[in-house]
Amino acid sequence: MTNNDKLPEGKDVTQETQQTDNSVCALVRVANELGLHARPAARLAQEAQKFESVIVLATDSQQVDAKSILDILTLAAPRGCGLTIKASGEDARAAVERLTGLFRERFGEDK
Amino acid sequence: MARTVLSGIPVSSGIAIGKAYFMNRRLAGALPRQSIAAELVDSEKDRLAQAMAAAAQELADVRAKVPAELRENALIIDSHITILRDPKLLAAAQRFIHEMHINAEWALIKAVKDLETAFAAIGDAYIRERIQDVRLVADRVQAKLLGIGPGMKAIEGRIILLAFDLAPADTVGLQVDKIMALSTRQGGKTSHTGILARSLQIPAIVGVDGLEENVEDGEFLIVDALGGKVLVDPTEEELDHYASLKYQFESYQKSIIKNCHLPGETIDGYRVQVHANIELFEEVSQVLDHGGEGIGLYRTEYSYMNRPELPTEDDLVEEYMDLASIMVPRKVVFRTLDLGADKFLHPEGALDERNPAMGLRSIRFCLQRPDMFRTQMRAILRAAVVGNVSMMYPMISGLRELRQANRLLWQCKRELAAEGVAFNGDIPVGIMIELPSAVMTAELLAQEVDFFSIGTNDLIQYSLGIDRTNRLVSYLYQPLHPAVVRSIKHVVDSAHQAGIEVSLCGEVASDPFCVPILLGMQIDSLSMNPQAIPGIKRIIRQTTMAECKNLLREVLGCRTVSRINRLVRDSIFQRFPEELTFFSSLIESDEAPTPYV
Repeated sequence: MTNNDKLPEGKDVTQETQQTDNSVCALVRVANELGLHARPAARLAQEAQKFESVIVLATDSQQVDAKSILDILTLAAPRGCGLTIKASGEDARAAVERLTGLFRERFGEDK
Repeated sequence: MARTVLSGIPVSSGIAIGKAYFMNRRLAGALPRQSIAAELVDSEKDRLAQAMAAAAQELADVRAKVPAELRENALIIDSHITILRDPKLLAAAQRFIHEMHINAEWALIKAVKDLETAFAAIGDAYIRERIQDVRLVADRVQAKLLGIGPGMKAIEGRIILLAFDLAPADTVGLQVDKIMALSTRQGGKTSHTGILARSLQIPAIVGVDGLEENVEDGEFLIVDALGGKVLVDPTEEELDHYASLKYQFESYQKSIIKNCHLPGETIDGYRVQVHANIELFEEVSQVLDHGGEGIGLYRTEYSYMNRPELPTEDDLVEEYMDLASIMVPRKVVFRTLDLGADKFLHPEGALDERNPAMGLRSIRFCLQRPDMFRTQMRAILRAAVVGNVSMMYPMISGLRELRQANRLLWQCKRELAAEGVAFNGDIPVGIMIELPSAVMTAELLAQEVDFFSIGTNDLIQYSLGIDRTNRLVSYLYQPLHPAVVRSIKHVVDSAHQAGIEVSLCGEVASDPFCVPILLGMQIDSLSMNPQAIPGIKRIIRQTTMAECKNLLREVLGCRTVSRINRLVRDSIFQRFPEELTFFSSLIESDEAPTPYV
C-alpha cells in the first residue's frame, strides 16, 4: 500500500501513532501548489532542527533527514504527494505534532 | 589600442575612468587543493565548521538590515542561511576530510559536486535550479576559509566595482560613495545591477564576456557605458579621448537635468505628455528626478518571476497601492501580465514551444489562466482607489480577445461589489497595439477602449518579421521602415477619430531621430526609460509642430527605408547636433553585414 492510499480522501494529515519503539509516526500530504519547494523546505528543516529526536521524512521510495534542507529538496515532493514523518527520541511526539502542523497550515502559503 | 576591449550591455549611461576592484570573484579553480597530515584532520574539520558558521552569521547580519520592502530578498537570504546550517552539507564535507585527508576547501568542492549530481536527477526544474543557491553559499564559505571577507572593508579611494554577479545580499553592504561604476559578467537589461546603478546615477555595463579572465584587481579601466565597452589598460590617447567625452557628457547631463521638470511642449505650444516605463517600485525616484509626468508603462511581471509561487491578491494590492499613491496625482498605467509561458518559472515552464514569440504568451496566456488573470485585475481595481490608475492589455490581436478580457474584468468588478471590498470600477482601460492585426483593426478597437499604447518593439518585429537579437538579420530591424511609419500613423489617426488618446511606449519613444516624426503625427504621449526623459523633453521643447509636420510629410513621401533614414539623419543632425553626440539611435546602419558564409 502506498502512502497516498493510506491517507483518507480529503484529509491531509493523520493522527500520529505511537510505534513499538520510542518513535512516533504520522502521514501527511503536500498541499502547497508547488510541492515542497525551497521555502517550505527551509521552514521544515528549521523547525526540525529544534528537536533532539532523529526525524525522517519518507516517500514510498526514499527516506531523508528532515533536518536537512538539501535532503528535503532532493526529495522533490510534488503537490498531493503523501509523506511519512517519523521521529524517534525523547521529544518525538512534540516534533511530529509541530511538523504535521506545518503541513496542515500549508507552510503559511495560500496555495 | 587598449590591451583588451570587452563589450557588454550598458544599463546605466556615463563614463568612468579608474581602478578595478573585484568583489566575490568566482573562486572555484583557484582554490588550494591539498592533502593534509592525519593529525590535522580534526582541526581541519573544525576550521570548516567555523567557516560555515561564520558565513551563516554574516548572512544573518545582512538579513537583519534588509528593509521591509525587500521581503523577497530576505526570504532568499533565509534559505541560504538554512543551507549553510544544513547538517548534511557540513557532515559530507567533513567526511571527505576524514576519509581522504584533504583540506577543507577541497572537501567542500567535493561535497557540492555530489549535491550537483543529486540535484541534476530531480525532475522539477525549479527545485533543480536551487543548486545555484548551494553554489552561492559554498562561495561564501570558501571566501571565509581563505580569510577573505566578501565586504569592501579596505577600499582606498574610489573604484570601479567588478563582480561575476551582484546578488541583492551583496549590494546591501556596499560603500556606495566609493563606487564610480559597476560592471558584471552576468545580467541583462533588467538586472538588479542596472537598477542599482541607475539609482546611484553611476555608469554600468552588464553581461561582459571575459571580464574575470581579462581584468586584474587594481588594473586601470575605462567603462564606456555610452558605447557598452570596457577598455582594459587603455592608451594615453584613449584616456584623453574618454576624459573629454566624460566631461562633455556630464556637462550635457547637468544642463538637461536642470530643465527636465518643465512640461514637454513645443515652441508653438503643442503639449505632449512624457512618461516613464518602469518595472520596479524602486525606480520611482528615477522617474520623479528626471521629470517624468507619470508612468506610461508599469511592467507587472517582476513580482511573478522572482518567486517560486504566484503572488496573492493582497501582495499585489500592496505593491500596486504603494506605486499608485506615491505617484498621485500623476498617472500610472498598469500593463497586465505580459509573460510567455516559457518565462514562467513554474510549473508552466515545462511547455515546449517551437516558436515562443508566436506562442502562448501575454494576453493569450492570461485568458487561458483566468484564475491568475482575475487575481491581478482585482488587485488593480482595488489599488485604483488611492491613485490615478489605468490598465492596459498587451498583445491584443482583435476585438475577440479584448471582449474576453473585458468580460473577465466585468466579472471581477461584480464580485468585488458583492464582497463589499473597496475598489474603483471607473478606471480607463486600454490596449497595447503590437500586432499588425491590431493595426489593421485599430478603428474597430478604438470604439471599445479608452486609450491605445503603441508597443513598437514588438510591432516592428512582427511587422517586418525580424528577430532583432538574430545577428544575421538584425540590420533589417528598421523602426522607420515605411510600413512601420504608416502603421503608427494609422493607429494614431484611428485613435483620434474615435476621440481617444494614444501613447507610444517602445524604444522608438526615446530615439531622438524618431521623436520629431511621432510629434508630427500628434501623438499624445511618449513613454520611455526614466533616464531618457530629460534629453527627449529638451528636443520637444526646441522644436515646433510645424517643422515636425513638414518632416513627417517628407518621410511619408519616401519609398524606401534608406531614403527615410538619410532624410531623418540629415535633418536631425542639423537641428540638434549637440544632443546626438551621446545618443545611440536605433536607426543606424541598414547595410547587411559581411555576407554570411
